[in-house]
Amino acid sequence: MNALRLGSYTFSSRLILGTGKFSSVSAMIEAVRASGSQLVTVALRRFNREQAEDDLFGPLSEIEGLTLMPNTSGAATAKEAVKAAHISRELSGSPFIKVEIHPNPHHLMPDPIETYEACKILAAEEFIVMPYIPADPVLAKRLEEVGCSSVMPLGSAIGSGQGLSTSAMVQLIIRESSIPVIVDAGLRSPSEACAAMEMGCEAVLVNSAIAVARDPAAMAGAFARAVEAGYDARNAGLMQRSGSAVATSPLTSFLGAGS
Amino acid sequence: MNALPAWLTDSRLSEDIEPLLRQTDDESLERLAAEAQAVTLRRFGRIISLYAPLYLSNFCSSGCVYCGFASDRTSPRRKLEFDEIERELRAMKKIGIGDVLLLTGERTNAAGFDYLRRSVELTARIMPRVAIEAFPMSVAEYRALAECGCTGLTIYQETYDPENYAKLHRWGPKQDFLERLETPERAITGGIRSVGIGALLGLSEPIGEALAVARHARHLCRTYWKAGVSVSFPRIRPQEGSFQPAYVVNDRFLARMIMAFRTAMPDIDLVLSTRESSNFRDGMAGLGITRMSIASRTTVGGYVEAETAGASQFEVSDDRSAEEFCAALRAKNLEPVFKNWDAAYNNPLPEKERA
Ligand code: SF4
Repeated sequence: MNALRLGSYTFSSRLILGTGKFSSVSAMIEAVRASGSQLVTVALRRFNREQAEDDLFGPLSEIEGLTLMPNTSGAATAKEAVKAAHISRELSGSPFIKVEIHPNPHHLMPDPIETYEACKILAAEEFIVMPYIPADPVLAKRLEEVGCSSVMPLGSAIGSGQGLSTSAMVQLIIRESSIPVIVDAGLRSPSEACAAMEMGCEAVLVNSAIAVARDPAAMAGAFARAVEAGYDARNAGLMQRSGSAVATSPLTSFLGAGS
Repeated sequence: MNALPAWLTDSRLSEDIEPLLRQTDDESLERLAAEAQAVTLRRFGRIISLYAPLYLSNFCSSGCVYCGFASDRTSPRRKLEFDEIERELRAMKKIGIGDVLLLTGERTNAAGFDYLRRSVELTARIMPRVAIEAFPMSVAEYRALAECGCTGLTIYQETYDPENYAKLHRWGPKQDFLERLETPERAITGGIRSVGIGALLGLSEPIGEALAVARHARHLCRTYWKAGVSVSFPRIRPQEGSFQPAYVVNDRFLARMIMAFRTAMPDIDLVLSTRESSNFRDGMAGLGITRMSIASRTTVGGYVEAETAGASQFEVSDDRSAEEFCAALRAKNLEPVFKNWDAAYNNPLPEKERA
């Protein structure tokens, strides 16, 4: 597999993991290891330096070869996200920031306006900015223009398990984008992750589907293989889809026949 | 009394929940449980966020018949001084708590707004998340608390039946039904990020109460789309004064109510306190409930001096230690989460001051 490039970093794995929602820190760590992920996101909300068994950041930072991408989950405005990004960088040392701004704490849909504002500021401050966004092709280009390193449109609502319900819009984003497009949120099964890669995504981010599986580590492994399969299939050149059967005697053969 | 707000009587806001509450057979209960568990797992994963209450003061100017702190009770009155609050918080922090609910009675000279504000300020310096359960305040007062780091408010309407409300609240500022009903909205307007509501179950006819809570929650979610809304399910508990509730809300109904709320409102936090038995709490964790209190002391000064702290507001039923409770959650493959908020998100500046 060619490397996934984000800022000046390269990754051979194209599966990014979210770390919330697991039954325990050890289950989360096992899943991260089984996934082969080299980039995982962790919420500043779940950094807990005072209590080791409640802390997600400490155990993750001990896994060799893993890059951490703190996220701003909890932020409702650009200002809060920027503040969280600064604190995250200071605590983790990571230049990555997943900008996640959801003013409605119930459905957690990203706010396009605040996200744009925060990304503009953070990209100028040389963060590697990875915004979580609605599947909006215009917003994606705007974010590329202000210096984001990727865009991460949602497949469907967080934790909904509705898969790639935004697929038509994600395809438009991919067609126009010069930065990696990474589907984030909503994926339920490895086959959906595979489909996202076949479609042209550079990576996928998965959390719930792995965290709530009966065997999270086994599910993480299954997602990793599906992501690879989808990526390889896309590079191998998928057969064209055809809406109607191609007649063995072409319908247009009369053209050019002598009169 | 002025007219009730339209949302409180709008049955369309609770029509999906009503049939679920009216069923009584085992089969429908089991089906509902499976659905509630699946929704909870999808949306919240395997985590249960934890908080602990800290009773700042039991001074109170109201006369609620069902409460051990009512102003005609003879139990000694006390409030924590600021150095005591700090000691309590440090004791709480030692057992891992990072999310605190500060409680007081109705407004009094001994424990009024200033006292509460300074308590919030002090708590926000020590804990990542601070919420309050106290007397209703003005928008300006809520704004001042939000600026000190208060992010949450819990306020129960106690009962949504105005006539019954009038009988149960014998005197004091809490007699104003509408003033209390509108409190969550004033808090949100003042910048408090999340509000918790509920009815004290047992005071009035339970299905009617449940439907009113559902309407209230939906009204808040629709009108204030940026605010977090959570629902608690307190059942009345024994307390000094030996008030007997008019209705018995049994475990089966309470479980049905919680699970019906979960399926109808998949995204909101549903909260269960230590009023409930350990058996019920363990059973409901992950079956709709996503947020729970732990190791609660319902006495003023209960964390440092558990034995001597005096009368409580009500009796705790689940008196397990934080460790014991967390072990029970883990045995159910659930993760107890002590810190699920960061002070980085506190104290947002008003819109006009934003860059
Ligand atoms: S319920 Fe609250 S207002 Fe009523 S008596 Fe008790 S402490 Fe006072």
